[in-house]
Amino acid sequence: MNEAYLAGRGLASALGPDLTSALVALGGGGVAPTRFELAGGFAWPYYAMADEDADWTARTRRIAQRVAAESGALAGPRTGPLFLCSSSLDMGALEDHSLFDGSDPNFPAAVASWLDWLGPVFAISTACTSGLNAVLSARSLIRHGHADHALVLGLELRNRVTVGGFGGMQLLSATRSLPFGQGRSGLVLGEAVAALHLSSRPARWRIAGGANVVDGQDPAGPVPSAVIAMCRQALADSSLVAGDIALIKPQAAGSPSGDAIEAQALREVFEPLPALISLKASIGHTLGASGAAELALLTACLESGVWPRVDYPLDAALNTPLAEQAPPRARHVMASILGFGGGHTAVVLEDGEA
Amino acid sequence: MSTWHVSAHVVVDPLPAGWRDRLAERLGQRPRRIGPFAELALYGARSCLDAAKETALPAGTALRIGSRLAPMAAARTIAEQSRTGLPMPFAFMQSQPSQLLAALSQHLAWQGDARFALCQDAAAALQLAQQDAGASQGLLVGWIEEDRRTEWWRLNPTA
Repeated sequence: MNEAYLAGRGLASALGPDLTSALVALGGGGVAPTRFELAGGFAWPYYAMADEDADWTARTRRIAQRVAAESGALAGPRTGPLFLCSSSLDMGALEDHSLFDGSDPNFPAAVASWLDWLGPVFAISTACTSGLNAVLSARSLIRHGHADHALVLGLELRNRVTVGGFGGMQLLSATRSLPFGQGRSGLVLGEAVAALHLSSRPARWRIAGGANVVDGQDPAGPVPSAVIAMCRQALADSSLVAGDIALIKPQAAGSPSGDAIEAQALREVFEPLPALISLKASIGHTLGASGAAELALLTACLESGVWPRVDYPLDAALNTPLAEQAPPRARHVMASILGFGGGHTAVVLEDGEA
Repeated sequence: MSTWHVSAHVVVDPLPAGWRDRLAERLGQRPRRIGPFAELALYGARSCLDAAKETALPAGTALRIGSRLAPMAAARTIAEQSRTGLPMPFAFMQSQPSQLLAALSQHLAWQGDARFALCQDAAAALQLAQQDAGASQGLLVGWIEEDRRTEWWRLNPTA
């Protein structure tokens, strides 16, 4: 059986148009969210990219091409599967057009054509867990010899519907993103395009395993037994035990109840907890792109030693301290995303140089 | 890697008149807070499990659902609401395909590996479902065409 490796990555986010600029911004203390304003005087903090192009489709095409190129996926054959991961697809274009049929209903195929991608195209749509589920699907195809490379492209770009939808459900913070923080009051959304180029050719990061557990008891939040099952299944799939994990990147979206449920469930599996890192106070919650975006940024942070600052008090009741620097020799890292639709997904990475 | 045998295959084409009422009768309640896209998934999944003579989806079974398009009726509604200046779209949740996974989990009292994918080619989606669920103990696969038809397969690993 083959193994699947992270051959390359790219990221455009509020931190900058590529990973190099993101690390510079992160090392300088990060960036502050802007305000996303809606009709009726509603506004929420939002991690926007510094790109003011008013044409949604032209902007999306340009950013997707640049990020895919950054990952290295466009330099080789483009015949493997392309997994597009997005919660909103092209809603930003649809809501701007006067007629619904003014847009291409097959947005994933349009993205593939922008990249001259020749392989099969799938749009994984499991809300926030889309990116990590795409990584698991790509890994499975590579391991079983059905593909020798794949591109996972997370894409979540500005649109009023998503911000208004989350706002209408009272899930957004009016102030700031405080993962595991004292006084956390909800999510702060962000936009990102992230590319993960996966390959059977050995590279530093091996996709060691993972798990996806759906439990619909709470369609908008985590379920404790599902978080526990996700962690245990991901460890088993990776042939690891809890003590092997040196770092966890949890969902930690800043939700008052969601963070508490997640923290308690993690303690059921990991005691003591390994080092923790949160990236949502750096780029926001980028929804369908978050799995790919946070894996790209996480691996870049571990390689460079650049680490997000935690400039707010953490919730002592959760007892989930966020690491202030990269843990030394973190060979096995677990990254998880919990989301809408009852999704709980984790991926375990192995650093071949740790 | 698993090979599979088909224990049930259900094609609902065209959708029978009153299918939503039939679903409510079969479930013993009318599904709440979900749109017709997720209701069609429930209808197809329940019909397939009934054909397989299964009352519930066993633990360890993987669930894979595909469609050419996202829930377009809800997408049209929220895009129109946004264009007309409504700040918070009413049908936002129904526009998210992932809600059908939560609905299936709830109504089948099942927790497990479930994914939804958009794909232009139903055969490719079915192939992906079988390939990436290779380690599971069974598979329930559905294809949805909103307002038109749905097709489901119940697959079990060949012994």
